[in-house]
Amino acid sequence: MTNKLLSIHELTKNIGSITPVKGISFELQRGSCTALLGPNGAGKTTTLRMLAGLIPQTRGEIRYGSGNAHTKDWRNRIGYLPQYPKFYSWMSGMEYLSFSAKLSGLSGREAVKRSRDVIEMVGLEQAAKRRISGYSGGMKQRLGIAQALVHEPELIMLDEPVSALDPIGRREVMDLLYRLRGEVTVLFSTHVLHDAEEICDDMVLMVDGEIAEKGSLSELRTKYRQPVLTIEVEPGEREIAWLDSLASRPYVHEIELGKRGAKLMVTDMAAARTALIKELADSGIELLRFEAGTSSLEDMFMKVVSS
Amino acid sequence: MKSFWIYYQKEMTEASRTYKWIWVPAIFLLLGIMQPVSTYYLPEILSMAGEVPPEAAALFTVPSAESVMASTLGQFNIIGLLVLVLAGMNTVAGERSTGTAELVLARSVSTIPMMTAKWAAMITLMVVSFALGLGGAAYYTYQLIGPLDWAAVTGGAGLYAVWLAWIVTLLLPLGAILRGPAAAFISLAVAGALSLLSSLLPSHVQWSPGRLGGMAAEQILGSGSISWSPILVAILIMAVSIIVAARLLRRSPLSPQS
Repeated sequence: MTNKLLSIHELTKNIGSITPVKGISFELQRGSCTALLGPNGAGKTTTLRMLAGLIPQTRGEIRYGSGNAHTKDWRNRIGYLPQYPKFYSWMSGMEYLSFSAKLSGLSGREAVKRSRDVIEMVGLEQAAKRRISGYSGGMKQRLGIAQALVHEPELIMLDEPVSALDPIGRREVMDLLYRLRGEVTVLFSTHVLHDAEEICDDMVLMVDGEIAEKGSLSELRTKYRQPVLTIEVEPGEREIAWLDSLASRPYVHEIELGKRGAKLMVTDMAAARTALIKELADSGIELLRFEAGTSSLEDMFMKVVSS
Repeated sequence: MKSFWIYYQKEMTEASRTYKWIWVPAIFLLLGIMQPVSTYYLPEILSMAGEVPPEAAALFTVPSAESVMASTLGQFNIIGLLVLVLAGMNTVAGERSTGTAELVLARSVSTIPMMTAKWAAMITLMVVSFALGLGGAAYYTYQLIGPLDWAAVTGGAGLYAVWLAWIVTLLLPLGAILRGPAAAFISLAVAGALSLLSSLLPSHVQWSPGRLGGMAAEQILGSGSISWSPILVAILIMAVSIIVAARLLRRSPLSPQS
């Protein structure tokens, strides 16, 4: 699987005096599922809009396909769902889909057939003939995914597909995306790490218009796995003083102090555990919780985003 | 070309589902019929009101068929133009402000077919409504007042259609940068300013498309000759408007609010 579907190089966008995207580069493999992760305002939407060809980039290069053939009709081979998809509310769901399909170059009969297929796929066949003005938020989001798929694109780009949905709608969309894995290449943006972990193999983490981290999820998990000791104590002066003193221990790499406890990134778990337990027993600290584990991607996410 | 038809079909369906195909022709028809009918019955209306001495009512003469038709154009010039501009102000501006343009433009390489289709749909609505209105006026004028020179009426109608068309076309580029009401206001203001200018300084602005309205009325009255420069300028304005609108929409498909 070294089949590149999309590669972008030094992509930059200036809007007036601000630069929401500052020279990012990454590649998408055919058939992969990539999450574009980042806090609000990291430049995810701007990046996707540039990739969808809606706004021109200031600098940098976007290349579709593996070869040098820069085909003109690549737009017909991508499907795009904006963060807040807006449809012509006077159309019915079915009409909108076949209108979109025809715009992407399908013939009339094909368009109707494909529309029927995708409307079934997203579970809107009951509402197919109703006007879009009467659709709920979740139905609109599913119609949005349907329109992104109707012309059988190679790559679909979804901007925050689940952020605006309630838990049930979110579940439905995530299941739908899970089913699509492998059939089409998926690039979706989200600010929820959990969503990315659930269905994606790769992720690109953006912070302030730059790529802070990228790679496959398992790689990142290994890279950022660090032994962590969580200690929680009864509130008391002696306890607090003891927690404060922990930072100077040789095996403590980093410490995060809370009100009633501390989180220690340690270099040597075995040594740290033995030493600390002994110390706790000797000094009679009123211990509530003592837990040994490893840091999660969530910790990594928080660390990279807040640094 | 294919995408032109897809967009055109969409625009036409939209216009009929939002009832534009009912209220715009209806207003034109009403305006067109009212003029000859009210002119014809004016003496009776006045005498029914009972406050006009019969001598004064007798002084009132029914104007010629040609002048009734010419004043019908005057009716279209105020309310008709307003209706057309209001009906068309959101064709581009609406797509930007509601955000529907984002999904559509992600699918199309060129915005020219889309813009041309929007223009064609607006012009279709305009031509049909105007023809209906003027046809109604001509029918009642013929029935109530007297025969008309059909060639002159057709010629005048053609000129007047060009006058309406270029003002309506201004809505496309204006809508690509402004919100709907602002676009409507500016295009009406431009129309008003140009026609005022050509009646104040007729010799200085021979080429001004603002003359088209007046020329159309003169044509129906059987006086005056057609000069081609305003027509050419109007056509040029339309072509440039469409191209500029397509460019602008490509550059900023979303209004900043969305």
